[in-house]
Amino acid sequence: MKSINIADQPWLSMRRTISITVDGIRYRLFRASVTVAVIVVAVAFLMNILAESLIKRSVANDTRERIDTSRVIYNWSAKLTSPGSPESIIIEIANSCPESDLYRETQRFAAMSDEEMASFQNYAQKIVFIFDFFDGLDYAKRRAMIHTASGLEILKRLNNPENMEQFKLALSRIRSVHFDMDFAELDDVLAKGPEIRKQVNTVISSRRKAIAEINKTLKGKSILEKLATADGTFGDTIRQAGFVFNAENTAPLVADQAQRLLDTLTLEESMEERPTRQLIAQQANILPADVNVMMMWKYLDGKRFATRYLEKMQESGLNTAGLNPDRLVDLAQGRKENASLLRAERLTFDSGGGFLGLGERLGWLLFVSMLVCGIGITNAMMMTVTERFNEIATLKCLGALDGFIMIMFVLESCFMGVIGGIIGAILGGVIGLGRMLAAFGVNFLGAIPVGDILLGMLVSVLLGTILAAVAAVLPSYKAARLAPMEAMRVE
Amino acid sequence: MAETTPQNGATQENAERRVIIRTVGLKKNYLMKGVLTEALRGMDIEIFQGEFISVMGPSGSGKSTFFNMIGALDSPSVGRVFIDEVDVAQLTAEELAYLRCHKIGYIFQSYNLIKYMTALENVTTPMAFGGVMPDEARTRGMDLLDLVGLKDRWHHRPIEMSGGQQQRVAIARSLSNNPSVLLCDEPTANLDLNTGQEILEILQRLNEKKGVTIICATHDHRMMNICDRLMWIRDGKIDRIADRGDVHIEVGHIDGH
Repeated sequence: MKSINIADQPWLSMRRTISITVDGIRYRLFRASVTVAVIVVAVAFLMNILAESLIKRSVANDTRERIDTSRVIYNWSAKLTSPGSPESIIIEIANSCPESDLYRETQRFAAMSDEEMASFQNYAQKIVFIFDFFDGLDYAKRRAMIHTASGLEILKRLNNPENMEQFKLALSRIRSVHFDMDFAELDDVLAKGPEIRKQVNTVISSRRKAIAEINKTLKGKSILEKLATADGTFGDTIRQAGFVFNAENTAPLVADQAQRLLDTLTLEESMEERPTRQLIAQQANILPADVNVMMMWKYLDGKRFATRYLEKMQESGLNTAGLNPDRLVDLAQGRKENASLLRAERLTFDSGGGFLGLGERLGWLLFVSMLVCGIGITNAMMMTVTERFNEIATLKCLGALDGFIMIMFVLESCFMGVIGGIIGAILGGVIGLGRMLAAFGVNFLGAIPVGDILLGMLVSVLLGTILAAVAAVLPSYKAARLAPMEAMRVE
Repeated sequence: MAETTPQNGATQENAERRVIIRTVGLKKNYLMKGVLTEALRGMDIEIFQGEFISVMGPSGSGKSTFFNMIGALDSPSVGRVFIDEVDVAQLTAEELAYLRCHKIGYIFQSYNLIKYMTALENVTTPMAFGGVMPDEARTRGMDLLDLVGLKDRWHHRPIEMSGGQQQRVAIARSLSNNPSVLLCDEPTANLDLNTGQEILEILQRLNEKKGVTIICATHDHRMMNICDRLMWIRDGKIDRIADRGDVHIEVGHIDGH
């Protein structure tokens, strides 16, 4: 029998809830700032790792491209002197795009139709897969499966039923190894083996013929010297011999790099002369006998030294045709750039795998750090709740709903999560950026993925906030369930 | 002593007035470390509208437990509590919150003001919980602060006020939703004599002018001068209940001890 109107208590407006929460945080600024610091550290750690992996991955891609370009000259000088091994041809074809120069060239040398070439590449890829499988094994396992065979011998060996049985037996015994190709496919590849071999041999003999033709035009000069004129008549010679040698892109690049290589060699040889050696010794303030080529490159970076060095070269009677101080500086800088490329390649060899290029180890580390942060926030919030027993109970006496108390605490944690997240993301991003710049040098400034990093920051802030909110749920629940009669207690 | 009323507490005169709080066979047991403690062992009392009743008793007598029961802060083990003829045990959590917000005003020994709110915000918070619009809450809050004589201190935080001033803000806060009952838990215990006297005067004025029912746990003997009835609790039971007029003689008696 209810004689008065008892209604459900209405929900407090969000604005008022937020204002009460913010006032509460402001009042306990010190405790709040400690909690924020926990979040800052965790988010900064996350953002730092994220930024570094993103930059590493991007730099790795950039480096690979630049290194590939810088090695064009080596590829061509090798190609024009040796026809290559059957295995190297198979790997080349397996990795090349169907419309690339190399693909067309091989097709021409082997005199194959489009379909034949496509099938050839398909089988080449399967063979490479088999190569990779055996190359990934350790010595004992490999020996148990295929004895000492390597390269195309593997195919030849597996074609023998007895050896095939041995391979299958070893495979079934060694549980840790998985061969991801079914045996029907393997048999198909093996059956096709001799035909592939024949096609590869055709390519090799055609190449050998082409190389012989080019050799005839060398007339005592080295292939490098000839390649320095590759954008001219020598380019035509290469094309006539049957190679696909792009006159627009490849030829100027090859010519430029060949000239660069020749000049580099000239300079490195010039250091053997007395006047030049003395100049370097004087600059470095050491004995001429201790001078090495690294010092020369270091000092050639400056134009004044380069000018003097060139004078000394002429004094020694060296041929300095085509060389000027600017060229020397340029060469020295090119060398420096190459060195930084190589360093970048070394530093980034392990990047790119897994989620966001993080890899398993870092992922695990991140997870643990987030866990520690979560526990830290939970602890801080628990302390806050305990401290505020009286306040919470009083609010409940005044008519606060359990939900309001809960929201108040989760909201408080969220605010701290956002603030800590933003500070942490900026801090982690800046530290990561600084560390990566220090490692790779300003050479890679262009390779920094700004968009990805900003996205990573956003993700970090979001993750920090969610983490803080989730960590606050348990303490908030505890606060909300608190009995209002706690307010009666006298401290 | 002969005039002391029986435990049901209803004199002939009182029976015609409206009962605002009624307890029936109220018992409360606590289980602490496996030992069953009987805090209340059966209390029946009727408290009438507009009454000023003092509850006295030594510590550990069950006074606080009794307060929690009639303040809808805790539920009895056995028996029932009716506030305005509503059985508290049957209310949902939301309805309980509504009851605490609108029907009961709480005044605590240690004031329990929210530390980070100004006096006015403290007073208007229960109104916000009750769904009063901010502008109206502000006007009413200022009126209530005026009532306790702290209108010019509305923007001060608890830490900037004396104990007596804080308790006056707490009284203003307890009145914010026009409650039927004011529940005071030793409101003068932390205050010096003069300030305590001020608080008592405010309570008396509220009771007389506004007709607010006041239930007051106290050790303060001055309370006897202003309350209508006195109730003694001992060992979880009502020891006795007496009208003020009857006790006056006894005050002398007590003082004589």
